[in-house]
Amino acid sequence: MRDFLELAVSATASGCIYGLMALAYLLMIRPTGIINFAVGEWAMVAAFGGHLLLYRWEWPYAIGMVVVIAFMMVVGWVTERLAVRPLVERGAPILAPILALLGVLVVTREIISVSFPPDPLPVPFPFDIGRLEFGPIGGSYQSFFIITVTLLVFVGAWLFFEKTLWGKSFEAVALNRRAAALMGINLSRVTALAFAGGAAAAGMAGLLVSPNISAHYLMGVPLAIQGFTALVIGGVGRVEGALLGGLLLAFAEQLTARYAPIPSGFAQGVPLLFLIVFLLVRPTGLLKARA
Amino acid sequence: MKKVLAALALGAMALGAHAQETIKIGVITDRVGVSKPYSEPATEGVIFGAEEINRKGGVLGRKIELLVEDDQSRPDISAALARKLVDQGAVFILSVSLSPATQQQQTVTMEAKTPQMTPMNSADYLTTQLDNPYFWQTGPLGSVQIATLLAHAKSKNFKRVAVITDNSDLGQAIAKAFKGTMEKAGMQIVADEVVARGATTAMPQLQKIRAANPQAMFLAGVLTAENVLIFRAYRELGLKFPIHSSYNLSVPIYETVAKGLVNGVTFVDAYDPDKPEVKAFEAAYRKATGRASQNLHGYGYDGINLIADAIRRAGSTDKEKIRAAMQQTSYAGVMGAKGMKYTFPEGKRVGFDPNGMVVRVYEKDKQGRVLHIGTK
Repeated sequence: MRDFLELAVSATASGCIYGLMALAYLLMIRPTGIINFAVGEWAMVAAFGGHLLLYRWEWPYAIGMVVVIAFMMVVGWVTERLAVRPLVERGAPILAPILALLGVLVVTREIISVSFPPDPLPVPFPFDIGRLEFGPIGGSYQSFFIITVTLLVFVGAWLFFEKTLWGKSFEAVALNRRAAALMGINLSRVTALAFAGGAAAAGMAGLLVSPNISAHYLMGVPLAIQGFTALVIGGVGRVEGALLGGLLLAFAEQLTARYAPIPSGFAQGVPLLFLIVFLLVRPTGLLKARA
Repeated sequence: MKKVLAALALGAMALGAHAQETIKIGVITDRVGVSKPYSEPATEGVIFGAEEINRKGGVLGRKIELLVEDDQSRPDISAALARKLVDQGAVFILSVSLSPATQQQQTVTMEAKTPQMTPMNSADYLTTQLDNPYFWQTGPLGSVQIATLLAHAKSKNFKRVAVITDNSDLGQAIAKAFKGTMEKAGMQIVADEVVARGATTAMPQLQKIRAANPQAMFLAGVLTAENVLIFRAYRELGLKFPIHSSYNLSVPIYETVAKGLVNGVTFVDAYDPDKPEVKAFEAAYRKATGRASQNLHGYGYDGINLIADAIRRAGSTDKEKIRAAMQQTSYAGVMGAKGMKYTFPEGKRVGFDPNGMVVRVYEKDKQGRVLHIGTK
């Protein structure tokens, strides 16, 4: 039982990271229909930002975190300006920006790869390495930090969509671009904001996971795949879906690795199995968008 | 990068002054691919070694000129680069990217009768699959690394052991070799775990190992980030059994990226900090570059010096004479246990002494002393 509760904390923390990655996809895909696989590289950029600001320059964690996330919003906004908007304005099919963003993925990775040493680089923990226990539930400080921050991000995202006019305009664009534009919603501003928000969510995931896995120029692709799987499980319709998908995926992965009587290597297949089953049986994901 | 440019500039200047006098040596490295963490320091070692040789008057009175190419560890690119280097007049090719890429280059060097060597690749097949008399390998073989680590483990009389690795090709291959040797030695493998590339925790695997209660854990993984996850989960769960690791832990990056997590971990290495050649190398490197050297620099440094030594003994840059001289090598370098010499006895083309590896231990977040030497 102790083992299970310990694992539950670690799986929840991993699930939160996957959830944030899924949220990054979702923020962009909802209003624009564009799936942006460069989110993994964005998480990587934020992790390297964490390394620079928090490790090399030793900034206080809170300030470093705010600066990294703000920087990521700029990265998202600039990406939209340079790689997406020119194509959309010229009436290119939806596939064009998706391919352009794959190019962004490669360019981003190469920039990081040539700018930093090849080895994984350390990113400090906000709190020391230590263990927190609430009765039988125990886990590292970082696990609880990841869970807390992720919950705050999701509550914030939920409030944004449910309670603010901006959020409603996002929904309106998601439901019907043309009608939303006719109602006076500024489409390009919504798109720019979607990319800034997506980059911030991905950046948050990268910053939170990097003390554990280090900043590394190849860290983006696995995060992008995990986030995409979580998105398929949870569905693109609602922000809660991203978190739900992430948690389900992480629990499935870690419980299989721990308890399933199969060789450890096979447990890696679980996410793929999930992806295939959901795409076949329930391609809209668990949570449907409200009509 | 600056060093590479400096070396190229140096080469270019030499080229201007004495157009026909440089000895061209090709270097195929990896600047962006999977082997980059190993290839970059090795290449720095090659460049430092070439500069040192040139400062001391070069080889046969001629300067060495390095022609550096980047194959991204991709076999499909590396052969073309080997051809390019041969066409540019390289008399020797030094391969410091990934084993499969080095293997592919051999198809060119064999046909063009151009000497080629790898100072660091560890794949056992490089000299056995192709009968290429123009190719030598002086990096310690994978099988030697495993035998050395297990010789040390055997002295501890373990009966119940756990194996953990990652899902990279190399990590899987090392784990398989570990398990084969352990079973032969009568050890029982009570847990056999894999951490996938890109995992965010190794908690389930370490919990499972804890439940199996082994006397020691053998780490065969080669992906740094995933290995750090394993150490983290090990500490978090407060585990006490010793960890014995593959040569991957000899990469100095663990001193910073796994700070506070690796003390007491033992690992295989080909580097003995107490060896006189190593002390001389470390001092010279620091003096020339202002930076501390690391074990991976030693591979490249030994590589370029082995080539220079062969050309000196050949007394000419004739490729056939260099080939014959290389085969007669007997050279003590930076890598290897005390007293080890690179030799190619009985026509073999593997130059690292099977008893030349050591087992070291991390102490105070640094790669520390040697605990064990050789495979006995």
